[in-house]
Amino acid sequence: MTAFLDVVLGGVFHAAVLFLVAAGLQLVFGVQKIVNLACGSFYALGAYFGISAVSWCLAHGMAPALFLPVLLVAGLVAGLIGPFIEALLLTVYHRDEAFQLLLTFALVLMFQDVLRFFWGADPQQLGDLVMTYGRVKVGALQVPTYNLLVIGASVAIAAGLGAFLQKTRFGRILRATAENREMSLAMGVNVRWVYASVFTLGTMLGTVGGALVVPTAAASLDMPVELVVEAFAVVVIGGLGSMRGALAGALVVGLLRAAAISWYSELEMLAIYLVVIGVLVVRPGGLFGRPLE
Amino acid sequence: MKIAAVLVAFVAVAALPRVLSPYHVTLVLPALAYSIALLGFNLLFGYTGLLSFGHALFVAIGGYGAAVLSSKLGLRSFEAILLLSAAAAVAVAIPIGLLAVRYVKIFFGILTLAFGMLFHSFLFKFYDLTGGDTGIRVLRPSLLGRAYEDLDKTTWLVGPFYYYCVGLLAVLAFVMWRLVHSPFGLHLVATRENRRKAEYLGVRVRFFRLIAFSISAFYGAIGGAILAVNTGQADPELAYWTHSGELVFMTVLGGFGNFFGPIVGAFSFIFLKDQLVGLTQYWRFWLGAILILIVVLFPRGLSGLVERMWARLHRSTPS
Amino acid sequence: MSALVEAIDLTKRYGDFVALDRVSLAIASDELVSIVGPNGAGKTTLVNLLTGLLPPTSGQVRFKGEDIAGIGPVMLAKRGMARAFQLVHIFPELSVAQTLAVAVVSQTSKALRFFTAVADDAAVNSRVREVAAIFGLDGKLRTPARLLSQGEKKLLDIASAFALSPEVILLDEPTSGVSSADKHGLMRNVVDAARRAGVRAIILVEHDMDLVAEYSTRIVAIQAGQILADRAPADFFSDPEIVAAIVGKRPARFGQGAS
Repeated sequence: MTAFLDVVLGGVFHAAVLFLVAAGLQLVFGVQKIVNLACGSFYALGAYFGISAVSWCLAHGMAPALFLPVLLVAGLVAGLIGPFIEALLLTVYHRDEAFQLLLTFALVLMFQDVLRFFWGADPQQLGDLVMTYGRVKVGALQVPTYNLLVIGASVAIAAGLGAFLQKTRFGRILRATAENREMSLAMGVNVRWVYASVFTLGTMLGTVGGALVVPTAAASLDMPVELVVEAFAVVVIGGLGSMRGALAGALVVGLLRAAAISWYSELEMLAIYLVVIGVLVVRPGGLFGRPLE
Repeated sequence: MKIAAVLVAFVAVAALPRVLSPYHVTLVLPALAYSIALLGFNLLFGYTGLLSFGHALFVAIGGYGAAVLSSKLGLRSFEAILLLSAAAAVAVAIPIGLLAVRYVKIFFGILTLAFGMLFHSFLFKFYDLTGGDTGIRVLRPSLLGRAYEDLDKTTWLVGPFYYYCVGLLAVLAFVMWRLVHSPFGLHLVATRENRRKAEYLGVRVRFFRLIAFSISAFYGAIGGAILAVNTGQADPELAYWTHSGELVFMTVLGGFGNFFGPIVGAFSFIFLKDQLVGLTQYWRFWLGAILILIVVLFPRGLSGLVERMWARLHRSTPS
Repeated sequence: MSALVEAIDLTKRYGDFVALDRVSLAIASDELVSIVGPNGAGKTTLVNLLTGLLPPTSGQVRFKGEDIAGIGPVMLAKRGMARAFQLVHIFPELSVAQTLAVAVVSQTSKALRFFTAVADDAAVNSRVREVAAIFGLDGKLRTPARLLSQGEKKLLDIASAFALSPEVILLDEPTSGVSSADKHGLMRNVVDAARRAGVRAIILVEHDMDLVAEYSTRIVAIQAGQILADRAPADFFSDPEIVAAIVGKRPARFGQGAS
């Protein structure tokens, strides 16, 4: 029972972080039809930036307990590169999808070295800082409170995003532009601005995800390329463009990975890819998406 | 005119060992390998319009095929190794293709990426079978029955092996040329241009995509086998998705709209990377920047540039 | 008279909505049957069923005596029926010759030839030139389709359907987007071409009643998923109820006043 709970909690934590990145991907794809291979790079940027921010604050006498808000802010600030990247992507909007993929791939390559330039080749971490919030007893387990806080934050963000898309005016504009760009343009929507905002929002979700994960994992140069595969597994399983899909997919991937690591570690990513392929065979559009062909 | 240019290039490449230092010649070997792999890739991308982000899967199958066959099964004939590895790649391509050709555009790319990473994961984790992250050694094969035992590794690589690969590239390029100019090739291009209309004109879209996918796998594996023999090792990084990304990069660099584009791309990329690595430790950054430049400013790649200059030359001179 | 294309009690339901209700229809050799009716009446559904794109909920569709329910465009082309659409579909980068060659290659089952060059195939090339000439495109054989004028693209679209050497061709609003002055010219070209090419029957979906009156051997009117009328043009236009239901006014060909 304890082992099971351990796996579930670990899986849900991982899912919480994955959800943020996947939500960012879905938003950008849903509205702009761009698949961003550099999502992992943004994630890593958030992670490294978060570490630097917290280290700097601690060195300047901040109380350790404030590290979570610092991480959140650091994640948001790192996401501010969004508009600049989006401006670059503008050049290939109207062209074949292949060029978009290539452009974001080029960004992956460039980010690798940018990260290395600023933070070096060694993985970085925050040591035991995660323990500042202590532990909580869940069943027979001792779970770091931080993990539960992150899960909570992710749920809150998910709910917030949902409300934002359904209830606010801007959210409705986003959904309209996603459905029919020409129509939105004809109705006076400043599509350029919508695109820039959406991309920035998507980027921030990724950078915040990365920032939130660092107390429990190290930031390394492998992050950008490794996360992409997991994030894509999430959006494929959940269905490209669907927020509910991001949630469902993140849970599936997070739990599956935790289960695989715990029981048969060779299967770790293998199990995930097999599920991706399985889902695509049975439901080509993913769990919540629309089939495409 | 074009034929003359191709022949000149061919002779030049064949003559390189006489002109360049062994170090540089060993650089040309991967270029030859990638040229072959990319000819296959471009059949799928340039001609059929399907962008695969998992072509490295077949390159890796070729590499590991050469490794397993030579060091674990004692097979030394390079011809047998090439055929068996390529056959294995096609065998893998068929079930994947049956699934993947139902999708287009981004889904095809993601699905192929997933399969590539599936293989990578398998190679990485199943240490007992695959040697894990170290991989498996590749032993020197015999070429057309001759073992050249008296030659040391480098001399063999820049000598018999080099000429063998140049010949292989020539033969495979010729076959691909006939393929793309055949009725089959015409139907492939039709599926790229307008899938629905192609169907109404009797083109068997899915079946032909599957065939193109399988042929690309065949070529990919042969390229992979050459790569592995060159380095003497097959390792999981051959299958990583970023390796697939580099394959796409090379093709677009050379120009995917042109038959020779991929070959130009392979050679250019290898030399570009070599120069950059020598100049700075941040070569990935510059490589990425160059890719952005190409995508934004020169989408038709280097061969597209040459074509444009050629056209301008012809226009300015009276006929 | 054996029917070339037959619909027997065709019904198509989408949930509760009945798009087609027990439609029966037969088209024989040497006929040009026009299908008319207001939008939403079920013309498109009928056409999609007749061309094997959709399977019927009940009933049968036959072509040359064989069931073609839901066989799809590729098999349809193979069996000998071609379809040209209202919206122009081209292969942007392929030349006129190459576009026509795609169809000829399919029809002569040469698609699985891997090593012969299309450019060297005399049989394919002569057929391509033949079809191009019928539609007046033989001067533009090497022009990429995207560089053709809108009218030429339309011609190419129809020509490529002809290049399949079909026995039956279904034309979906072939003159839509064509200027009134050119409509009759296009129709005449197409009907002549069909006769010369050995097409045995034409099915036409049209809104322009003048064209329908001029060229049809029979007119089938669809309304609310059912056949309202299935008659020769003279009969069709002399029935005031039908005319009122489908047409605004009687076309010039049939004059005004009592039948």
